[in-house]
Amino acid sequence: MANQLLEVKGIDVFYGDGQALWDVSITVEEGAIVALVGANGAGKTTLLKTISGLIHARKGEILLSGKSLSNLKPQEIVDRGIIHVPEGRRLFSNLTVLENLKLGAYVPRARPFFAESLERVFSLFPALKTRKDQKAGSLSGGEQQMLAIARGIMAQPKLLMLDEPSLGLSPILVKTIFELISALNEQKATILLVEQNITQALKIAHRAYVLKTGEIVMSGRGDELLANEEIRKAYIGERVSKR
Amino acid sequence: MSEFEIIFQVLINGILFGTMYGIAAIGLSLIFGTMRIIFFAQGAIIIFFAYICYWLFTLLGIDPYLSLILVIPAALLLGAGFYYGLFKEAAALEQKEVSLLIAIGLLWLMENAMMVAWTPNPRTIVTAYTSWVLRPGGLVIPFTRLMALLIALLSAVGVFVFLKRTRIGTAVRAASEDMESTTLMGINPNWVNAVAFALGIGLAGTAGVAFATVYSFDPMYGFTFVIMSVIALAFGGFGNVFGALLGGIILGVLQSGASFFVSAGWADAICFGTFLLVLMFRPQGLFGKKV
Amino acid sequence: MKEERLAKYPFNLLKSLIPTKITRNLIYIIIVVLIIVAFATVPFFIDVDTSYFAYYLFLCFLYIVIAQGWNVVAGYAGQISLCQNTFFGLGAYTTGLIWLHDITKTGYYFDPVVMVLSGLVPVILAIIIGIPLLSRLRGDYFAIGTLGVQFTITVLFLRGGAFTRGADGLHLPSVVFESMTPYYWTGLLLALFAVAVVYFLTRSRIGLALRAIREDETASASRGVHVLKYKVFAFAVGAFLAGIAGSLFAYYLFHINPDSVMNLNWLFFPILMCVLGGNGTIIGPIIGAFFLAALSSFGSVYFPQTHPIFSGLLVILVMRFMPTGIIGLKDRILSRR
Repeated sequence: MANQLLEVKGIDVFYGDGQALWDVSITVEEGAIVALVGANGAGKTTLLKTISGLIHARKGEILLSGKSLSNLKPQEIVDRGIIHVPEGRRLFSNLTVLENLKLGAYVPRARPFFAESLERVFSLFPALKTRKDQKAGSLSGGEQQMLAIARGIMAQPKLLMLDEPSLGLSPILVKTIFELISALNEQKATILLVEQNITQALKIAHRAYVLKTGEIVMSGRGDELLANEEIRKAYIGERVSKR
Repeated sequence: MSEFEIIFQVLINGILFGTMYGIAAIGLSLIFGTMRIIFFAQGAIIIFFAYICYWLFTLLGIDPYLSLILVIPAALLLGAGFYYGLFKEAAALEQKEVSLLIAIGLLWLMENAMMVAWTPNPRTIVTAYTSWVLRPGGLVIPFTRLMALLIALLSAVGVFVFLKRTRIGTAVRAASEDMESTTLMGINPNWVNAVAFALGIGLAGTAGVAFATVYSFDPMYGFTFVIMSVIALAFGGFGNVFGALLGGIILGVLQSGASFFVSAGWADAICFGTFLLVLMFRPQGLFGKKV
Repeated sequence: MKEERLAKYPFNLLKSLIPTKITRNLIYIIIVVLIIVAFATVPFFIDVDTSYFAYYLFLCFLYIVIAQGWNVVAGYAGQISLCQNTFFGLGAYTTGLIWLHDITKTGYYFDPVVMVLSGLVPVILAIIIGIPLLSRLRGDYFAIGTLGVQFTITVLFLRGGAFTRGADGLHLPSVVFESMTPYYWTGLLLALFAVAVVYFLTRSRIGLALRAIREDETASASRGVHVLKYKVFAFAVGAFLAGIAGSLFAYYLFHINPDSVMNLNWLFFPILMCVLGGNGTIIGPIIGAFFLAALSSFGSVYFPQTHPIFSGLLVILVMRFMPTGIIGLKDRILSRR
């Protein structure tokens, strides 16, 4: 078995007094794409935020390569290599593309590799190279998503967490994004992917978890879940799609 | 003086005074950008440094402009100290009221401490060059006011360069836009806040010295000053260094003009009313970024 | 697991003594009623006119009203409104002007019509400025907008000429002052009203909507919640509460000018009370009010000269070391075990 890069063990997460996650456990092996799917409001973003340290779990623990992440501040977790590319991109729209990328490599771990990361990112995303001095806010939706992912790559991630990268993008762009994610994975990136676009996510994922109202209700290999009747009915729609 | 010259003089006076508001506004903008509160104590801190400048001059004979060499680093340190000592925990809370109250508590404390320590009597600094005046074409421009303008411009340029060209400055700009995202870059939010705060207080120190060379001041003036600086910031727009400075100048001109053409009493009302209108119809200010 | 259960034991024991939820609620209601009766009957046991304690309670009631006003706007709706003192002052001025010009012609004293009107005038202002400000300005910027309102109106009242009598303000005939008792009871009534308003607001659909908006505005909007309507409503309620408090204060002070009714203390005290007692709770502002009223009265008695410095220092220390307020203290002590 491959190394368990990330282990989330039995976490309970609360928003104030309301519980958002119940006894959630997931694992991500090194070099895999693990998808986290589920409906809106199921708690996917909450889980990512807990892993990246923005939210604290009331119970349970999170381990990176066997070492606990509890009591670490978010910026320390980033320095350990867990990079969270948030939902809705959250770029610094008043800053240029290059400045966004520079900030991506801010962490001490990533800073020495800034030049090579930048080169890599520019070769993956030529459009960003041409636009490097443009304000991030002036980019198109697809380019912004690329920039968001590129910014994440600049941080030399051990684990790259993508929250809804296909949100709001045209079908062609969605396809491009997923091809990109696969390509990154082929280049040895470990990816935790949160998606509403279940079909695409399950197609590229090695394994996946289904989250429903704060609980993991199903897990398994990507292709298995994709073929699973329940899932098809609940999330994909009853008609058999021949995509 | 001819009518035209009078108007011009009023304009010049407004511009020169407005730059004071401008520097303070830049400081407020930095603190608001990162900590999302109006730092009400800014005015009192400006007056505090005006007093420091005064005492450095009166007791040690240090020229006000030279004292900047001492004041600016001291102010930067004080700013960082204030943040780590007073605001760090509160800044992390979601409710901003706590930070707001600390700022107000600080305002009260400083104002009243200064009143007790240094009496409410107004102070003025009189140096050899206090009475120097330039007279380009019939206008009257006091040397000290021009120097204050210069100091303001240099400060603005300094802050601008810092924000645009340094890594830390870029982090501050990013944090002003989206603190959570900035944290996800691995940047310590406390540290960004502290830098912004230090800069803000540094600017207050600079404004204090500049102010002291031109005008007389008393401990209670700080509050009025910070209110006008808030208005200057609203005029100029948040997130834009030169915008804030310009906002101050515009306010200075508005105040000067209203004082002269309407009456000193109504000048305030006009400034506040314009403030309100700007907020309602152009909340991002004249030069600001999105709101 | 076991330790947790043991720690909760006393509470569980108590819970087991009170069999059903209905019975428990009944007991809460009885306690509340007893407290109200206790307060209401104070004038029968103490000479309200001379007792300092009665004055303290009166101040508490007044403070409770303005604190709950802030609580609605900031605690529940999540908006920072920096013009609460303006609403307070408007209420005071409305009362003063109606009285002076004998507009309602119902004679003097504690006319409920006058009080309601004093509450409504700020509401009108709240709606007029609330709609443009709340629709265009995001949270922190909204605060600045209200600050602008505050300055503008204060200055307008200062320059109001014959109508508002400028800095000197309105002087009401104080000869009508006979006894503190009606003040005490009106104060108690208003305090109860304010608490009731907050109580019913939180349990209503409006309260739920406000909480949803505060948690995630964009999500609520996308689910069809008319965000602006609810925000303005909360803003208006806060204005109303501040207004009627101002009215009561006008009746008490007899001298209404910008310095006494629009000064920034009336803005900061409610904030302080809610932070001290606990924002977003019903009882928090009440605790904060009792606390601050105590400080206010003792402060002016024992430290009249140095009062301002110490209040500044006190605020800083309290906020720095107890930002979650008094209610938060309980949680912090518990979490240390």
